[in-house]
Amino acid sequence: MLEVVDPGALATIQDGGRAGYGHLGVPASGAADAFGLAVANLLAGVSPGAPALELTLGGAELLAVETCAVALGGADLGAELDDGRPLLADAVHHLRPGARVRFRGAAHGLRAYVALAGGIAAASELGSASTYGPGRLGFGGGRPLRAGDRLVPGRRGDLGAVGHTWPSILAPHPASAGGPLGIVPGPDLEAVPPGTLAALAAFAWTVEPASDRMGIRLAGPALEPGSEIVSHPLLPGAVQLPPGGRPIVALVDGPTIGGYPVIGVVPRADLPRLGQLRPGDAVRFAAETAERARVRWQDQQALLARARAWLRQDAVWHRLADHAGG
Amino acid sequence: MPDGGPAAGVRIERLGEAGLLVVLGDRIDAALNDEVHRLAAAVRTRRLASPGIGAPVPGYASVLVPFDPLAIGEDDVREVIQAALADRGESSPAEPRPSVTIPVRYGGADGPDLAEVAARLGRTEADVVRLHAGTVYRVFVVGFVPGFPYLGTLPEELVLPRRATPRTRVPAGSVAIAGRQTGIYPAATPGGWHLIGRTDVELWNPRREPPALLAPGATVRFEAA
Repeated sequence: MLEVVDPGALATIQDGGRAGYGHLGVPASGAADAFGLAVANLLAGVSPGAPALELTLGGAELLAVETCAVALGGADLGAELDDGRPLLADAVHHLRPGARVRFRGAAHGLRAYVALAGGIAAASELGSASTYGPGRLGFGGGRPLRAGDRLVPGRRGDLGAVGHTWPSILAPHPASAGGPLGIVPGPDLEAVPPGTLAALAAFAWTVEPASDRMGIRLAGPALEPGSEIVSHPLLPGAVQLPPGGRPIVALVDGPTIGGYPVIGVVPRADLPRLGQLRPGDAVRFAAETAERARVRWQDQQALLARARAWLRQDAVWHRLADHAGG
Repeated sequence: MPDGGPAAGVRIERLGEAGLLVVLGDRIDAALNDEVHRLAAAVRTRRLASPGIGAPVPGYASVLVPFDPLAIGEDDVREVIQAALADRGESSPAEPRPSVTIPVRYGGADGPDLAEVAARLGRTEADVVRLHAGTVYRVFVVGFVPGFPYLGTLPEELVLPRRATPRTRVPAGSVAIAGRQTGIYPAATPGGWHLIGRTDVELWNPRREPPALLAPGATVRFEAA
């Protein structure tokens, strides 16, 4: 069991997301970086979309109330024990009762995922345990975690995963790739001046501080704005062009409908990168076809499946080694 | 505007590699919006036989059909949409259209923009309230945040563009206007509409069935409390 001593900038429970309620205005929510969530969960031996703790920037502190195994995924936020020993990202660690884990913060990335071996027991509402404040959905009626909140494992004392590390060579995090984010053009290119997509791709944009799980605001040269459109449904990754001419990219908690022209959508394979952008980061876009985006998504899912199989095999070797040694 | 019927100008646009947006028209219109909700219902029925297609999301004049591109090809989704477009003509039995009255405290701290709205429209505050509360509205869409009803159509006399700078936090229950629309904020969120009043009616409660008080097609009246 883990207790939150300090939630840092923002700590919430997130899982693979809440699909199917867009018609009620309920966004997908879920981990802003679904790849990082999958890494933590697969290391912890639970399903990739299971609920985990999403931490933002540095400052969080967790206390092990009893012995547990925690897996860290997503950004390396500089986790360390109270004696200063670092806890590696993308690995599973054994915490003894009373152990404290601090997240000092780090130079790259925004969000870390903490999964518990045995899973985190979290009630599901509208098909998901993800926290979403405006809908009063998730832990504590949709509020962020605060000091004193406890995360209880689904099963107790499951330490079998301790020592496992993510096979980063087999399945590197998408954020390690660099290069421009993809954007699949449309659907409102007729509502913006010709050349808008090319202009978007020509500049290096900067992530504004006023960015959150709802959307990423970009600073840069103002694009020529388009006309107002009849509001239509949105998806995470939608790049909207408001009258000010500075794009806003919808994230997982973004509005389900919007009235600004959407010039394109960042594909699924690149959403984990969006979820790790922090204020001040530079962003570039490059148009790509839906087919190319689909293939990259397929490749990413295949990598996760390979890493999962590798971890299973690794677990067998661990057990054999334990047996031989004991 | 030529009346070719909504089917004449249907466009199917990509919303990324995992969504198709079926655009039935480009205006805010009750008959067109009825078509939208019939199409969404037809897709909802047809997707039961097509795993990989997600729950459709209706807008004013369009329907989003999300899908998992690893489970179903885009061409197959387009076929399901075409079949649903053909279905929607078969008039489903008229659904009950519930009518809801929302008591509103207009102006003052509850409607901080009422005075400015009245001034910009060259009317008295009482005039604005009379016009807003004297109109019967229809729920066109529920969206933006859970339970937020997009209501139309606001009388021509009250039409104003959105605020130049959106508020970072609009109190829950705020009744607001923008363009030809009026709406009610179910939760404290950022918002760019003009706030003219506030209600205590609970628009969204995830532990209630249904969680959203208002569904598309419902009729709404406002009443000065």
